[in-house]
Amino acid sequence: MARGEVTINTGLCQGCGLCIGFCSRGCLELSPDRLSDMGSPQPILAQPERCNACCVCAWLCPDFAIDVYKHTGVA
Amino acid sequence: MSLEMIYGTPSLKTQMPRSVFCPGCHYGTIARILAEVMQELEFDGRAIGLAGVGCSFAGMPLNLDVDFTSCPHGRAPAMATAMKRIHPEAVVFTVQGDGDLGAIGLGCFMNALLRGEKLTTIFLNNANYGTTGGQMAPTTLPGMRTTTSPTGRDPQNSGFPLHAAELAAFMPSVAYAARVTVHTPANFQKAKKAVTAAFQKQIDGTGYGFVEFLSACPPNWGLTPTKCLTFISERMMAEYPLGVFKDVDHLDYSKVP
Ligand SMILES: Cc1ncc(C[n+]2csc(CCOP(=O)(O)OP(=O)(O)O)c2C)c(N)n1
Ligand code: SF4
Ligand SMILES: [Mg+2]
Repeated sequence: MARGEVTINTGLCQGCGLCIGFCSRGCLELSPDRLSDMGSPQPILAQPERCNACCVCAWLCPDFAIDVYKHTGVA
Repeated sequence: MSLEMIYGTPSLKTQMPRSVFCPGCHYGTIARILAEVMQELEFDGRAIGLAGVGCSFAGMPLNLDVDFTSCPHGRAPAMATAMKRIHPEAVVFTVQGDGDLGAIGLGCFMNALLRGEKLTTIFLNNANYGTTGGQMAPTTLPGMRTTTSPTGRDPQNSGFPLHAAELAAFMPSVAYAARVTVHTPANFQKAKKAVTAAFQKQIDGTGYGFVEFLSACPPNWGLTPTKCLTFISERMMAEYPLGVFKDVDHLDYSKVP
């Protein structure tokens, strides 16, 4: 079960793709369907169940585009 | 089950419609470190930033919600000196590129060190003049191609790269000097520690704090943001070793010869 979740601000993300390489759990993927207003493909949380809210993608996002959430409590 | 936000935009980051930096530029990550450190050390209310000419000229003041001004090319240490001497309670820092600090402003920087100013300098080493289209800088690697060294920097007629962190460490007025990167998660955390230490030396009145960042410049390096990370680890770090070159808690200010 997913322990975390990230949101990517489509207005701020410039599609550099660094977060995809930094995520050691392979959660993020570039989506050809989601383009920034400059026309570059942006990442999406393609494998949400794998996210463990480690925050690495958000630390290293140069565009302040990623927020990280943690699941708390039980389902 | 509920969702709790655990990490997001630092409160000292201004709201901007979009980044002023190129995609994959590390300056944004460095701005994040500055915002987080200023908040953690709780001096944002008395911080004064001075940006050099270069991509940090507008980029840092626009990104960081603290008192900030931009300076004539290379002159940030002189303006910072005035600010610090008029407002000794303020925490005054410069953010300068390698063309700014290392070429046109090298004298100004060295004189600030010689005068024993208690400032903090964040030095952005991207091995070229980013803003103006990638000309050779004092930090350009031997053999590295830039628009003004199209066949690669030739040390025979262009000399050797400037090692600013080692130079700063050598100066008696400097309390802290380090070289860091933000090209891996572990290095991001080390960089944050270095910036914290460099500010702490000023806050404690110990001496000058200096942090050099090796920073990616994808458009002028002609590399993708991801390939820039390899360039940093394989090429930049071969010339510029990372580490803390000086960290002292006390400098001898006595007048006794
Ligand atoms: C007195 C003066 N000379 C030249 C310039 C043109 N100029 C603007 S930015 C720049 C280079 C800045 O390079 P660097 O400090 O490495 O910053 P970067 O863009 O790489 O962040 C130059 C030469 C200027 N603005 N002022
Ligand atoms: S030119 Fe280089 S240093 Fe300037 S914003 Fe673009 S990537 Fe960053
Ligand atoms: Mg530069």
